[in-house]
Amino acid sequence: MEHILESLAQFWEYTGFANCSWQNLVMIGIGLVFITLAILKEWEPMLLVPIGFGMIVGNIPMFPGLNIGVYEDGSVLNILYQGVRQGWYPPLIFLGIGAMTDFSALISQPRLILIGAAAQMGIFGAYLLALSFGFAPNEAGAIGIIGGADGPTAIFLSSKLAPDLMGAIAVSAYSYMALVPVIQKPIMLLLTNKKERLIRMPVPRTVSKREKIVFPIVGFLITAFIVPSGLPLLGMLFFGNLLKESGVTKRLANTASGPLIDVVTTLIGLTVGASTQADKFISLRSLLIFGLGLLSFVIATTCGVLFVKLMNLFIKNPAKKINPLIGNAGVSAVPDSARVSEVVGREIDPGNHLLMHAMGPNVAGVIGSAVAAGILLSFLG
Amino acid sequence: MRKLLSALLPAFCALALNAQNVSDLIISEALAQPDSTGILDDYGRRMGWVELYNKSTGTVNFAGCYLTDDLSQLRKSQIPKGDLRTRVGSRQVAILYCSGNGADGSFYTGFTLKPGKTVYLVSNDGRTVIDSLQIPASLPQGHSIAKLARAEDIRLQLWDSLAVCPVPSPRILNNNRSTASGGELMKERDPHGWILSITSVSVVFCALALLWLLFWALFDRPARKKAQPKPVKAAKGTPDGAVAAAIALALDMEQDGDVYAAIATAVHLYLSDAVHDVEPGIVTIRRSQSAWDNKALHFRKLP
Repeated sequence: MEHILESLAQFWEYTGFANCSWQNLVMIGIGLVFITLAILKEWEPMLLVPIGFGMIVGNIPMFPGLNIGVYEDGSVLNILYQGVRQGWYPPLIFLGIGAMTDFSALISQPRLILIGAAAQMGIFGAYLLALSFGFAPNEAGAIGIIGGADGPTAIFLSSKLAPDLMGAIAVSAYSYMALVPVIQKPIMLLLTNKKERLIRMPVPRTVSKREKIVFPIVGFLITAFIVPSGLPLLGMLFFGNLLKESGVTKRLANTASGPLIDVVTTLIGLTVGASTQADKFISLRSLLIFGLGLLSFVIATTCGVLFVKLMNLFIKNPAKKINPLIGNAGVSAVPDSARVSEVVGREIDPGNHLLMHAMGPNVAGVIGSAVAAGILLSFLG
Repeated sequence: MRKLLSALLPAFCALALNAQNVSDLIISEALAQPDSTGILDDYGRRMGWVELYNKSTGTVNFAGCYLTDDLSQLRKSQIPKGDLRTRVGSRQVAILYCSGNGADGSFYTGFTLKPGKTVYLVSNDGRTVIDSLQIPASLPQGHSIAKLARAEDIRLQLWDSLAVCPVPSPRILNNNRSTASGGELMKERDPHGWILSITSVSVVFCALALLWLLFWALFDRPARKKAQPKPVKAAKGTPDGAVAAAIALALDMEQDGDVYAAIATAVHLYLSDAVHDVEPGIVTIRRSQSAWDNKALHFRKLP
């Protein structure tokens, strides 16, 4: 009987109840909130469900040394986490994104590319703020990239510049991407007047197949020559797009945009979530990162909208004016921020469809954030 | 042609391998005459040594390479193959002791180092000199001669200045500053981040503006020009576009409304014959196979 009790006592030591701390419970609670938001509100469910569940997995209290935790060498979670840590998953996701993205909206109105560049100011605004809060330059760069509103880019850059902050940065980036409608709409309404919101943009022209094929090649050559450090992301993005547009590699494009991206998204979500272990995640720095992430989204949206207004000052032909409501789409949360443009635009003029116009700066934002990540890597890496 | 390609392929592969490997090594430091504070080898002896530095971003295996102090005898001392320690990591160093007896171990040369001599690192082909370092004849005892990176940034890889070091630094990179990461350098150069931010924003704008200009010039502008409708000549005896405009103006004066403008435009398009395509007047009827005229389906057994 004594032995049985001893065994039970020893077993108790290994259970989650014996090793639990309030921090674990907080993180499990956050994970549950993510899952709830994803299922009930359908906010980025593909990301929030794996991340939320990953948070729960990573915060199950356990006796250390069993070689099962995400930070324990050789454990299954650790092996899967290497894809995040070494930056393998983000380029694979970019391959899928490229294979899914239609750049027609951008090609038909090339001037909208500049809005995608303007919105990247959110990255550098957050970088300056992070420096002023005492973060080291490499950490500030990793935090700033949250303003690119691009989860894979944020993970890629933070894995290179500040691996210790990667969990907080990734969760922050994905959370704010899910909250794009909540964050962007008030800023758009604040910065535009009724007359501007009513601007109807000309119907985009039809884009030829030749243009669609040339775009990824030329786009890659230009951006990669200027920022070679963005090669993993830019290369995969444009390669995926070429697979789609060439028309002769449909099977490869289908795999990249279907099963491959699904697998990688599942793994990246789960492991990023699991990496947010309470002892490493709950800190004042994490809270600061969340605050700076929010500010970077605000700056990015503001700069995008204001840049459109600036462009309109130089456009004399009223028929060619740009609706500033598509300025927010310069952040690369595809297609959520473009949807916000559409919804806000239709609230004031139900016949004004801005979605296709907003997709131009939206996909330009993807390119812009990858370029910005490459620049930060080359300066701070 | 195929034979030629087959012959050239291994040569290309060899070149590529060479490019990624031993050619990235440099002789970064050498000491000819140790004093009483010099490093000890595995046998507890003090002697001259040569430091090799891997300036590449990948691991380099220098097994099979040669070290010599005589250009007429490039294969003077070979580094043995089969020792796993001959792999030197990215931006790491390895020390070779110049004991004069190569049999002492993998990291020992068959010659001793003397002031005034030049030490050469020779590729494993025994012919290609990868790097060399001349030891000044006046080098004092206990001093080493080291190659230094010209720039502060290690990534520029310009190891072309020499310095006599009163305190030798075996197994340590010669420029302590050069090991600083980009982040650390930026902290010194740009503590508030404005330079980086302005530069980066400019680069992002330049990259995307270039893309915009290129596509605007190559595709967008020509496509828009092509898409502009050519002015359609009104048929003889029918009113032209001015008539439609006049109709719209007259109707507009009577009452406001887009409907009238639409009617006027429709009238204009109809009169200018811009609505319908010109029919060729040739009707082609192609024979199409179907189950109804399939002979095989019509065969049936007669009673």
